[in-house]
Amino acid sequence: MTGEGRKTSPPADLLEKTASVAAQQNAMERGCKFLPHGSRLFPVEQGWESTTIRRDDKVSVVSTLLELEETMQSADAKVIFIPIGAMMTDADIEKICQRNATVRTFFKEVKKGE
Amino acid sequence: MTKKMEQDTQLLKTKIKDLIVDEGFQHKEARRLLGEKASEAAVRKETERRMERAQELSEKLVRPLGTTTRPYPMWGSQRVDYKGQSNLEQVLSRIADDSNPMKVYSERPYSEVIAMAYCDMPVPSMLPLFFDGLERRKPESTNRTQMMIGDPGAGKSFMGALQGRMRSTKPVEVFDCGGKNMNELLFEMVLDFGAGDALPKAVDKRLQAGSLEALSLAKLKQLPAGAVTLDDDKNIKSIDWNYFKGNAKPQDVEAAFSILKDVAQIEGLDNASGNMLGMNSQYGPLIRWFIEGREGVLDEYNKSKEGSDNGLQTVWQFLNGETNECTVENPLKNKDLTNGPSSFTFRRDDMQAGFFVTLTGNKTEDGLTTRSLNKSVYSRLSPQTLPDPTEADWQHRICQMMCGVPVSTLYNVFREQADENPKEFGQWLMQLRKTKAELEGVPVPELQETLLENWRNVVNSSRKLARFYSEWSEMTNAENLMTTGNTDLIEEVDEEYSKKEGIDFRKIKQHLEAALPIRPRMLPEDAETKADFKNFMEQPKLGEKEYENPSVAFGTRLVDVLDRMVFEKSEAIGKHKLYEKLKASMDNAGLRDIVLQDGAHSFQRSVEEDLNVSVFDSTDVGKRAAAARKVFCDYIRQVDPQIVEADDDKIITIARLKRALQTVGDDNTAETKDLFIVNRDHESLGAFPLARAKIEDMAAYPEGTEEVELSVSDIVSHEDFMAALALPTVSAKNLDAIWDTNIRTLSEQIEKEQNPQDTEPEKKSSADEIFKITENRSEQGLATTTLRVMFKDAAGKESDVSVHIVLNKNRKKALVVGEKVPTKLLSAFKEAGIIHVDRHAPNAKAKVDAALTDLTRGTRNPELTKRHLADAFRFRNDFDLGEFLVAKKAITPAELKAAREELKNSNEPEAKLDEVLIKQGVLTAAQLADKTKLSEMLVDDKMGMLYEKYVVKDRKKPSI
Repeated sequence: MTGEGRKTSPPADLLEKTASVAAQQNAMERGCKFLPHGSRLFPVEQGWESTTIRRDDKVSVVSTLLELEETMQSADAKVIFIPIGAMMTDADIEKICQRNATVRTFFKEVKKGE
Repeated sequence: MTKKMEQDTQLLKTKIKDLIVDEGFQHKEARRLLGEKASEAAVRKETERRMERAQELSEKLVRPLGTTTRPYPMWGSQRVDYKGQSNLEQVLSRIADDSNPMKVYSERPYSEVIAMAYCDMPVPSMLPLFFDGLERRKPESTNRTQMMIGDPGAGKSFMGALQGRMRSTKPVEVFDCGGKNMNELLFEMVLDFGAGDALPKAVDKRLQAGSLEALSLAKLKQLPAGAVTLDDDKNIKSIDWNYFKGNAKPQDVEAAFSILKDVAQIEGLDNASGNMLGMNSQYGPLIRWFIEGREGVLDEYNKSKEGSDNGLQTVWQFLNGETNECTVENPLKNKDLTNGPSSFTFRRDDMQAGFFVTLTGNKTEDGLTTRSLNKSVYSRLSPQTLPDPTEADWQHRICQMMCGVPVSTLYNVFREQADENPKEFGQWLMQLRKTKAELEGVPVPELQETLLENWRNVVNSSRKLARFYSEWSEMTNAENLMTTGNTDLIEEVDEEYSKKEGIDFRKIKQHLEAALPIRPRMLPEDAETKADFKNFMEQPKLGEKEYENPSVAFGTRLVDVLDRMVFEKSEAIGKHKLYEKLKASMDNAGLRDIVLQDGAHSFQRSVEEDLNVSVFDSTDVGKRAAAARKVFCDYIRQVDPQIVEADDDKIITIARLKRALQTVGDDNTAETKDLFIVNRDHESLGAFPLARAKIEDMAAYPEGTEEVELSVSDIVSHEDFMAALALPTVSAKNLDAIWDTNIRTLSEQIEKEQNPQDTEPEKKSSADEIFKITENRSEQGLATTTLRVMFKDAAGKESDVSVHIVLNKNRKKALVVGEKVPTKLLSAFKEAGIIHVDRHAPNAKAKVDAALTDLTRGTRNPELTKRHLADAFRFRNDFDLGEFLVAKKAITPAELKAAREELKNSNEPEAKLDEVLIKQGVLTAAQLADKTKLSEMLVDDKMGMLYEKYVVKDRKKPSI
């Protein structure tokens, strides 16, 4: 604190969180794929939305099936982000959700217009 | 994780014998622990201690379900008295018992258990099985299994896993038994990668970086198909390493071991520390779940390898409570140099509260791979067969998929309360959904939130959808065609078709997945489009993207998907009869507008209309105010360059706008004729966002009376009038206020003067309907009028222009044809159910045509209704057929002159110009009808008015 008065602009982390929620809501508006046991997979186009979701510290990022299945064991990892270069297909994600019955929300980065 | 949380997540590991609150049981247990020689006093003391402990632990674990204040839906057989006779019927009721409620033994907080139990509730006909499942999970139950047999997609494994998910935050393991040897449930052969999975991680890393040797890649491609996914170019996309740790068959494990040994060597990973690779036998899922005190689901149990479960009989005897101990030997021990345990003993005393096994199986009719189980298995596992889904089940699942909550079942159970206080019921549904959303880690999707706010629409539409899906399912079930009244489909629907295209709950998922995203929509067949052939090969410049709320046209998208699916799954593959029956079923169920047999339009809303909902329909004025604020601020910023404030709150607060909307909402504008527009006064708009306006109708000043004097500054601007139509509440109230009976009054006066004799009753009845259309009193709900507002064009020239409005009040939709509007208003118009057409746009006529077709859809006779609308339009607008046709280049001035000449010289007093033109062969009747269509008139910017109807500022009344 410098003692020069209160900051008037919102803290950066609050802005990032707000942006992440907005990005998630935008992605959720575009429809989803229903996965086994109540999980859902939302495609999110590569761009500010995917970058923002990925940066959110409440979101777990996984690139391989090994990481995915390990992450799903953690009750805290409710939201999982799958980057565009991740080594998994939608069918892979579905298979992992089928054998680990739990509710998770997936955001999968896709190319623009896909 | 706090210490308390850690303790809570260990609660399900409590031995069930320590949870049984039964003095007799605990006394026996105390005696067993203390030995025969212990004194009775000591045993009593120990019994007391154990009872207290059991009570304490139970209180920590028990989450009651179905109490007097929190009843839980239940379906079952009940004697129902009707006309003095008692019949056994299956009814949907509830459990509400404080003394003996259902109990969930869970580590989760109560709110989470409740949210899951209500939101993910099994369909009504499965509720008795759900109830049984809960009973068998009680500590005193010695049967720790539940087996369900049913059709694919019925939700068996979902329900089994749900019970496990309700109890613990850990995932429930689902083991696919299909094609496997069931001895693997006890001991299984696995690959051992050592702690940290170093080898798989190293391979994954190189695979991702593209640095694996070509030979390694070729070897990895030979891994069993269940573990490797290839992309379209046959490159490895992923490797499921965990497949080899408990899901693969022994031969697959052995093959993978050999391949991976080679790969490790090629890549030089065999020498690195930690990159171990071994093959072991280990406890299979049943033993692991038992040791860990957790739930598991054995999926597709009767698709397992024939005869492979013979060795499990003693285990089932233990698990169903027939025996208290059972030892199983490991047949894999020392096989192919593998290590592993040699045996395992299941003991009742070791059983933990969290342990439970759900088995699911398909009906044996489901293909060759499904087998009939041994008699001994049936006897030990006592499978429960799911009943065929009822319409209530379909409705339940449709609601669940659409909104995340089974609204229909909850409404049926709490009907009286919901009808009495719909708002409170809606809030409760939302509360359940929001709690579940916390478990999902994301907010409730906007579409679901909107649907839950409009839960009555969901109940109505899901009932109709359920009826249709249920009939569709019957029509595609070859086995039951004779008993479901579909004998005529025998030739088209065979068992193969049933297996492939039969309708089950999974299809709802697929259809909703297709309906959720906003996609390009095919234009009506007769819609006009003009391609730019000259520049066709250049990438087009797209117009500004209009945001669309996903719920505004959700109903339309869903019904479009169903239309398409019905065609693709029947007519497109040569099943004509099925197609005809499905189309009839869709009509009968009311998926689109309901037209009754006598041709009248039903006032029952269709599925499409019920599910096309927007924030404008929200019962929450706060939500409407928030939406209105966005439109208000965006509009003000776009049209007023002096307003540069980026913070909406500094322009107008939601609270202030909410108060203004409440005032507008309380005004019966159909009576008061009050209009509201955006207040553009900088000084006052923050406090009073809406100014008043009114209509000055020249038709109200018949010849001889003194007309009102209006100056340019009195007339409301086109922009402000349009912006008001984009504001929730204000839009509907303004559309209520613009109707009058002045034209009828004026016409009757003129008629009386010109023709004191009564007109023909037939003509009068037709004219009456047209008058009603100008007055918004038509039973069909259609109305049209024209308003006059001020407009400044791009060159800055200001003049008064017409805004034509065609309204369908039954369907809350309107077509507004005027000038170009600020782009920020366009998305709000969609929410408001308003189709705005800029009359100067190149495709204006096509858009108007499409809108008119939509607005008149479902009326008794859409073509006649359009003609009536056109006539009503002409009552107020200055339509000169001859000049109009010349302007449209449909006829030449010379042809008009000739026709007028003949009309003048005609001996027939009733002859009309259109008849003469046809008679002279200038135009055919069809050409004439086409050229004088309402759409042509609506987009005609030269159309003057017979009686102007100005929207003027009402300065006498204060802004609000």
